[in-house]
Amino acid sequence: MRILYINNDGCGYADYIDVAENTTVEQFFMIKMSGKDAGDYMIRVNRQPVPKDYVLREGDRITITPTKVEGAKSL
Amino acid sequence: MDDIKNLVKIANQVQQELLKLRNCRYLELLNQMRSASDKLQEIITESKKLALSLSHSWFSAADSCCSSIDRLTSDITYYISRVKQFAEKPREETPTLSALVEDLKQLEQEYGKIEFDKATKTISLITKPITLDDVYLGPFKIQLELKKLSELYRDSPYYCIALDPHPAATNEEVTHPHVSNDRLCEGEGCAAIRTALEQGRLCDFFTLVKSILNTYSPDSPYVSLYDWDGEPCYDCGYIMDRDNSYYCSSCEHSFCEECSTYCRSCEETLCRGCAGKCEICEEPLCSNCAHKCAECGICCCESCLEDDLCPNCIKELEAENEESGNQTTGTNENSNPSQSETSTPEIKLAG
Repeated sequence: MRILYINNDGCGYADYIDVAENTTVEQFFMIKMSGKDAGDYMIRVNRQPVPKDYVLREGDRITITPTKVEGAKSL
Repeated sequence: MDDIKNLVKIANQVQQELLKLRNCRYLELLNQMRSASDKLQEIITESKKLALSLSHSWFSAADSCCSSIDRLTSDITYYISRVKQFAEKPREETPTLSALVEDLKQLEQEYGKIEFDKATKTISLITKPITLDDVYLGPFKIQLELKKLSELYRDSPYYCIALDPHPAATNEEVTHPHVSNDRLCEGEGCAAIRTALEQGRLCDFFTLVKSILNTYSPDSPYVSLYDWDGEPCYDCGYIMDRDNSYYCSSCEHSFCEECSTYCRSCEETLCRGCAGKCEICEEPLCSNCAHKCAECGICCCESCLEDDLCPNCIKELEAENEESGNQTTGTNENSNPSQSETSTPEIKLAG
């Protein structure tokens, strides 16, 4: 099935991707953000907070946004 | 801002600016290509100059050409990378009005009431008071200027304004380790913030900015939190950062550059109050390197002493010796005239 995936980590991008049926938000995060701690991200599906066992559906819009981003100073 | 009509009006403003931004991308691409082309022309001119210099064996002029070519190649590389960046970027679809309204609704759900100033066309969000590593920085207003959205490729369209500023002691413009003059240095978040704005994802934009404000990166702050409150100079009270403070090992306090010095013999840092002074060369001295003249007892550095005597005492002693020497010679002449009498004939004999 096809969902809209918006990843605000790194360069940030938004794209339609295919995911397997019955994929939960937790599984999706583990696949896409391997090695990262879910606690450091704000995850929204269709702009709403969802439990980690929420099963993604066709046409869902999932957003993953880091809550810890390191700033810098101008060079 | 619970009225849906207001949200639609704001969304409409955002959409208009995003349409302008899309056109600006092409203009920016054109500008970068012109700059790259100008630099290429300059490098061709330099290559002609180089050929001329070589034909006349003007090697100094050839070196100058090489320096210019080196600088120009760096410029060209930069402009070409910018051209590539704009050219390969896929064309962003301008979000629909309903998508923008949904985004604004989400923004209110996540962060409560947002402010929209019709006159200045700004959308603002106020963060909760921020404290990083036990340093209170207060709440910040993240203010997005819609009018500046179309200038995204040239300038940042938003500000982070401290509402209860607790700036760094050494720089009032720095209200957050990563904010100076109300401008956030985005660091790792730079690309994601640009992408979110290009795509009109305002909620993601505000979330990312908020995430940066809530994170401290100790490797690259304008002023580190360790130095945030600075340190007052023990003498004059000037607030200094720790990198520019000087610790006096004698009184064990910190001083500013003006109020500190160092021992010229051992290079130990001292405050001006604790530092002694060589009374001959007048250079600062620590108590360990201060020596006393064995004769007059004045304080001197080692290099000004000779056989434990200061130059003044040495002079006096030499003068005395000279005087006593003269006196001795005089006494000898007077006390033992027979010797001179005997010597004179010897000279006479020798002559």
